[in-house]
Amino acid sequence: MRKLSIVAAAVALVGLVAAATGAGQAQFKPAAANNAANALVKCGTTRTIGVAYPATGPAASIGVFQIHWAQFFASQWNKKHPKDKIRIVQGDTQLPDTAKALAVAHSFASNSSMLGLVGPAGSQEVQDTAAVFKGGGLAMVSGSATRITLTRAQSGHARDTPVGYFYRTVPNDGQQGDRVASWISKKMKKKRVYIIDDQESYSTGLAEQVENNLRAAGVNVNRDSVSQQISDFSSVITRIPSNTQVVYIPWQLAGKAQLFYTQLRAAGKSAIVFGSDGTFAPGTFTGAGSYVSSFPVDYNSPALKAFKRQHGGQDEAFGLPTYTAALVNATAIMKACKNGTASRAEVRSWIKKTILPKAQTLLGFPVKFLSKNKGKQTGSGDMGGTADFGIYKIAASGKYNRVG
Amino acid sequence: MYLTTFSTLHHLPLADILDTIRQLGWGGAFELLRNGIVLGSLYALIALGYTMIYGILKLLNFAHGEIYMVGAFLGYGVLSILGGPLAPAIATVPLILLMFAGGMLGAGVLGVVVERFAYRPLRNAPRIAPLITALGVSFFLANSVLLLTHGQRYNYAAYQLGGNPDNGLPGPLVDSAFSVLGRPVTVVQVLVVSSAIFLMVALTLIVSRTKLGKAMRATAFDREAANMMGIDTDRVIAFTFLIASVLAGAAGVMFGLYIGETYYLMGFLAGLKAFTAAVVGGIGSIPGAMVGGLLIGVTESFAAGYVGGQWSDIVVFAVLIAFMLFRPTGLFGTRAIQKV
Repeated sequence: MRKLSIVAAAVALVGLVAAATGAGQAQFKPAAANNAANALVKCGTTRTIGVAYPATGPAASIGVFQIHWAQFFASQWNKKHPKDKIRIVQGDTQLPDTAKALAVAHSFASNSSMLGLVGPAGSQEVQDTAAVFKGGGLAMVSGSATRITLTRAQSGHARDTPVGYFYRTVPNDGQQGDRVASWISKKMKKKRVYIIDDQESYSTGLAEQVENNLRAAGVNVNRDSVSQQISDFSSVITRIPSNTQVVYIPWQLAGKAQLFYTQLRAAGKSAIVFGSDGTFAPGTFTGAGSYVSSFPVDYNSPALKAFKRQHGGQDEAFGLPTYTAALVNATAIMKACKNGTASRAEVRSWIKKTILPKAQTLLGFPVKFLSKNKGKQTGSGDMGGTADFGIYKIAASGKYNRVG
Repeated sequence: MYLTTFSTLHHLPLADILDTIRQLGWGGAFELLRNGIVLGSLYALIALGYTMIYGILKLLNFAHGEIYMVGAFLGYGVLSILGGPLAPAIATVPLILLMFAGGMLGAGVLGVVVERFAYRPLRNAPRIAPLITALGVSFFLANSVLLLTHGQRYNYAAYQLGGNPDNGLPGPLVDSAFSVLGRPVTVVQVLVVSSAIFLMVALTLIVSRTKLGKAMRATAFDREAANMMGIDTDRVIAFTFLIASVLAGAAGVMFGLYIGETYYLMGFLAGLKAFTAAVVGGIGSIPGAMVGGLLIGVTESFAAGYVGGQWSDIVVFAVLIAFMLFRPTGLFGTRAIQKV
């Protein structure tokens, strides 16, 4: 009887702690973040934007592109706006380590000089840090978080972020997934597709979109999964039926796509490899005859040529939306600072009203954010207008030719 | 009743696995076996290092995976310096030999340096101290490479060696050396397995036939007694680290040639799996490490092939747990009897 009482008391205690923690998470607003959320910042000639990205960890190889583009933006912007300069403060989120992302979120939220935020990079990070950034009054502007539910509730799944606190300068999985599935089924007319995700939320979300759309179009779809840590795909490739026509790999790492392509061909399989925008990397993913979906970047633009020169001649598009995210923030901050002071609330209201022409965004289309739901898969915070994906085919020389 | 049972079975994942086995057939089974042997050879080379160092020092050198990673980077460095896979300055065979030399020697030197400065001062400390230090060295090495490479992944692209740079046609490394059941075994796969066998045989000969090997066995058996017999145990231990690291460096270069990718985190998971292989084979046993490596490689391959890519790591570490529960000494390990 005594033992039962002790166990019951322990269970009750655990329950109480859990309830308190849950309640605390919803309402807890560290004083520093609270102060920073409401602070009126003297703008001066240099304003601070935080960039939350994976500097270390498994996704460091793509995080480095994001910070390069953010730093490139800052250098270009500061040359043109000597009285409205931007200073970047970096936060290493170690995607997919959520704990680190939360630590960065708390640090940024309580940094009262910070007026804007680029990132976080991953959809799960955005979801996990949304409450902290909201508490701190910062709007997230991400160049790579593509999960649909970040901006739009889907059946059985509520919207993951509060309206007005999350924007993205990259089309979401729905937009990309629809485009890819349509291209494979209607243009390429393929009937047997094998989809392999890399177990990250970006990949699984996109894989599901494409799978559902392809099945609806009557295409035979097989699904598989590999860890992003794996480089030896030989056994997974063995599973791919020899009559498979297309292998769709919605992966974040273009280098892995190239490895996969090489190993697939070495195994004697001739299926066409189709990568998502994460694999768009001329010079890295060069599998002849492969396809890649990506936003229609103009590689002849002066800004892209300047970036390429600064980075050893390397073409790189994964981090490009981060440039645009920084531009959104910098433009909003400049407008908010017209009278010499600005609050995060003012910056948020200007981000909401962002209109950037195509020539400035580098994405191949203008940027204007939706204020409410549109269609079935976009919501407030998504880009409206021509936020569509291009389809590229890789030539034998490794050059990417736009075909759709 | 039979039909009801069968239809119920169809909804279980087991039914999917049996379906996959049937679909892949003997050809697919051979492919998975082939892949597993190649991968297992790499694990075996790294596992040998774990087992040798444990045998002589009773130290689990968790930095060993990072030695393997550095070896892979050094091999890539040699390839880059000599023109890269598309325009190498020398012919393919000497180029590959130089890559091995660079990776193995560099890893060997690093291993000796780590032993001298990180582990030797703790020779008489409680066993937990060098273990923690090993973890620290692991993080130090991985993050040092991260800083140097900015987290970039580098691709050996060895399939292009000897190929046609104008049209991207691959070189001879991915040509089929021979076929079994209609499935090719490529030149690079033969290279990896035969190199691993050569190195394992060389190690066995060194340990069993040379004076230094005798000294290594004596030191592993009883370090104090070996000292008293006039063996310079510090030198023997340094030599052990040298050999262990040379093998890991070789594995790193082989991984680069076979798979292609090098990046700063590649040593972590490979090191864990090689450690698993060493434990499964019997930690401290050289033949055990070889067999354990092959077993882990084949297990991983079949798990990925028959169950799914997302299951391979689960199955590998489940094997480790199973061995710990039911045969903690491993396949070749023996219970040590201590006279009290």
